[in-house]
Amino acid sequence: MALAYTLGLRALSLVGVVLVVLVLVVVTLGATGFSDRMLTAIVSEEMRGQRQALAETIRDPERLEETLRERRIDLEEFYGLDDPWYTRLPAMVGRVLTLDLGSARNLRSFDGSSRVTDIVLERVPYSMMLVTTSLVITAIIGLWLGAKLATRVGTRSDRLTSYLAAASNALPAWWAGILLILVLSFQLRIFPSGGLYSSPPPEGELLRFMDLLWHAALPVLTLVLVSVGAWTYVVRTMLLNTAQEFHVTAARARGLPEGQVMRRHILRVAAPPIATNIILALTGSIGGAILTETVFNWPGMGRLYFDAITTADEAVIVALTFMFTLMYVAARFVLEILYVVLDPRVRYTAQ
Amino acid sequence: MRPGEALRVVLRSGSGRLGIGLLAVLVFVSLLVPFFYPLDFGLRFWNNPIAWADNPKAAPPAWTNLVGDQAPRHRVFDAESPSQTVETGPATTRLYSFTFDHDSETPPTFLSVSVGEVSFYDRPPVISMSLARPDGLTATILQEVVRGQRPDETPPVSRFADEPRRIFLSGDTNALTAATDFLLQEFGLRLSEAEIQGNLEAALFGTPTSSDAPEFEPLTGEYTATIRVITYDSRDAVESVRFVAAGGVFGLMGTDTQGRNLATGLMFGFPVALIIGISTSVAATILGTFFGILSGFSGGRTDTIIQRVSDVMTNIPLLPILIFLIFVLGQKLWLVMTILVIFGWPGLTIILRSMVLQVRSGQLVEATQALGASRWRIMFRHVFFQMAPFIVAQMIFFTPAAILAEAGLSFLGLGDPSLPTWGQILEQGFRTGAIFIGYWWWILPPGILIVITAMTFVLLALAMEPVLNPRLRETAA
Repeated sequence: MALAYTLGLRALSLVGVVLVVLVLVVVTLGATGFSDRMLTAIVSEEMRGQRQALAETIRDPERLEETLRERRIDLEEFYGLDDPWYTRLPAMVGRVLTLDLGSARNLRSFDGSSRVTDIVLERVPYSMMLVTTSLVITAIIGLWLGAKLATRVGTRSDRLTSYLAAASNALPAWWAGILLILVLSFQLRIFPSGGLYSSPPPEGELLRFMDLLWHAALPVLTLVLVSVGAWTYVVRTMLLNTAQEFHVTAARARGLPEGQVMRRHILRVAAPPIATNIILALTGSIGGAILTETVFNWPGMGRLYFDAITTADEAVIVALTFMFTLMYVAARFVLEILYVVLDPRVRYTAQ
Repeated sequence: MRPGEALRVVLRSGSGRLGIGLLAVLVFVSLLVPFFYPLDFGLRFWNNPIAWADNPKAAPPAWTNLVGDQAPRHRVFDAESPSQTVETGPATTRLYSFTFDHDSETPPTFLSVSVGEVSFYDRPPVISMSLARPDGLTATILQEVVRGQRPDETPPVSRFADEPRRIFLSGDTNALTAATDFLLQEFGLRLSEAEIQGNLEAALFGTPTSSDAPEFEPLTGEYTATIRVITYDSRDAVESVRFVAAGGVFGLMGTDTQGRNLATGLMFGFPVALIIGISTSVAATILGTFFGILSGFSGGRTDTIIQRVSDVMTNIPLLPILIFLIFVLGQKLWLVMTILVIFGWPGLTIILRSMVLQVRSGQLVEATQALGASRWRIMFRHVFFQMAPFIVAQMIFFTPAAILAEAGLSFLGLGDPSLPTWGQILEQGFRTGAIFIGYWWWILPPGILIVITAMTFVLLALAMEPVLNPRLRETAA
C-alpha cells in the first residue's frame, strides 16, 4: 500500500512535469503567433484538398469560390483561428499530446508521408536503440570498474579514473563524436562516418544486422566514452562512503569473506544513492543523444531535430520537444520504481 | 574556513594550480579582446563576406609549411603613396611596385587588385597592372578606365569612396583574355577561354610545357607586380592601392571556406565563452542560494511551494526545451543565458534546503538564538557562511555546463549570429562537411578551446573538494 502511495506521488509529480512543459510550449507558441501560423497552414492544406474535390462537382467558378470561402470560414472557426490564442490553449494541449500537428513543411517520413505523427514516431526506435544500448554498456562498465576501484583507493589507477571522470564533464558528446570520426573514420577508415546502413545495404538478414551494428559502433562508443568516467567515479565514491561505515567494519570483523562484504554490506546499501546519480545523469545522456545523432547522421529524433531546425519546420520541433520530455519523464519513472524497490526507507517513511 | 585559507587548500593540489593557471590565461586573452575588436565584430566583420574577400579560402595554418609540401605564403601589399611618379605632359603615372619572392612550386591561389578612393577633375584615371617575372618577361593583365563623369556630377568626381574597387583577377574576363594574349605572344601557346579558366595563376607563375594544353612548369624567383594609375590633372588623387597574391596557407589558425581568419574568430570566442559561463552560473547560484535558504528557513507554505516548483523544474529535460524556446523566441545570446539561469537554480535550491534544515536544528543556531540574534542574522551570518564554500563549488561546477549548453545549441545551428562563438565556428565547419574533407584546422581548435575552458572550471571544482570535505584534506596533505 505504502509502495503504491509513494509511486503514485512520484507519478503525479512527473505528470505535472509533462503538463508544465506542455503549457510552456503551448503558451510560447500562442503568445509569439506561432500557433496561428501552424493552424493557418493546416487550414490551407485542407482547403487545397477540398478545392480539388469540389472542382469535380461544382463547375461554375464563381460558385466554387463562394463555397470554398464558406468552407474556409467554417474551418477557421473549427480550429479557433477567429478567437484569440489563449482561448484555444486546451485544444492546442490536446493536439500536442496526440502529436496531431498537421503536416511537416519539408520533412518527410521514410515512406514519404508528411504527417508529423508519422515522421516523429518512426524515429523513436532508432533513438531508443542508441540510448539504451549505450546506457546498458555504460552501466555494466561503470559498476564493474567502480567496485574494483573502491577496493584500491589512492592507487594510480584510482586517481587516473577520478581525473578522467572529471575530464568527461568537460567533454561534450558531439565533440567526442567528431574526434572519433576524424580518427577512426576519416584517417583510419575502420568505421563508417554515419548513417544506418551502407549504401547499398548488404543482402540477407544477418549481414544487414551486422551492417547496422557496424554503423552503430561509433555513436554508441561516443556516448559510452563521455559518460563512463562519471559513472565509475560515482559508483566508486558511493561504495567508498559506505565502506567506511561501522557495519562494514563489523562484517569484516566477523570474518566474512571480502566478496560477500562487498555484495551484501556495501553494494546493497550504496545502491539507492547510486540510482539517484543515475537519474541525474539521464538529463545529460538525452541531450548528448540529440547532438550525437546529429554528428553521426543517425536517423533518430535528435537528427530529426537538427533537420527540423535547418528547414524551420515548426510542427516537427513542437512534436519533438514534447516527445523528448515524455521519453525523459518515462525513463525517470522507471528509475523511481527502481529506487523505491532498492531503498526500504522510502517505503517506510511514506507510511 | 576563511577565503584565504580555502585558496591555499586549492593551490596545494595539482588540479587547483592547473585550473587557476588556465583561468588566468583565459581571463587575460578575454581582456585583450575589447582592445582589438569592435563591439559589433560579429555583424560587421565576422558574418560579412566582403571583409574576408582577400583571404585564401579553406587554407590551413601557415605553420603547416614546416612539414610537408611548401604551399605559397599569403601576400598582401598595401600602398598609400606610389613608389614612383612619372610625369609625361599633362598625364601623371603613379607606379605602385610590389616585389616578392615566390619560392613555392604551387602558384598563388588567386590574385586581386584593389584601388581605394579615386577623385578626378578632367578625364577619368586609367588603372593597369603588370607582372614582371623572374625570366625577364612581363605580362600585362589588367587595363581599366575608372567610370567617367556623369552629367549630374561636378568635379572633383569621387569613385570607390565607400568600398574600394576590387578586381578579382582570377575570375576577371579581361584578365583572362590578357593572359591568353601573353601566352600566345611569348610562348606561342594558344589556349581557349575554357582552358585558361582556373589556370591563370599557373600560367603567370610558370612556363608552358606543352604547345597546345594548359600545362605549366612552376617558375620560382622574384616577381614584381606593378600597378599603374594614370591621372590627367594635378589635383587628382588616389587614396590607396592593394595587391594580393593569395597563398595556400594562412595565419596562425588558417581560414574557413569563406576565407575568414579563424584565429580572429576563435580569439573573439574567449570573452564570449567566459561571459556565458560565469554570468549564468553566478546568477543561477544567487537565485538557488536565496530560494534554498528561504525554503529551509521559513518552512510552511513557502517551503512547499519552492520545493514543488524546484522538483518540477529539475525534472524538465533542459536541452529540448532550450532548443524549442530559442527556435521560437529567436537566436539571442541573452535569451540562452536567461533560460539557463531559469532552469539552473532549482538543483542548488533542493540541496541547500536540506543543508539548512540540518544546520538549523544544530546547536550552533540554538546557541545564537539564545544569545538573541535575529532571524536574518542567523540566516546569513551563521547558516550562509557555513555553506559558502559548498555554494562556491557548486557555482564553479555549473559554469562548464552553461558553456557546453551554449556550444551544443550553437552546434545545432541556433547560435546568436551577432556574436561568433566557438560552437558556431564548429557548426559552420560541420555543416560545410569539413570533417569529411579533412579541414582539421577548422574543426579541431574550436572544440579543443571549448573543452579546455570547460576543463578549467572542472579542475577548479575538483580542487575545491578538500575545502568541502575535511577528511579529504588530511589525506591530500
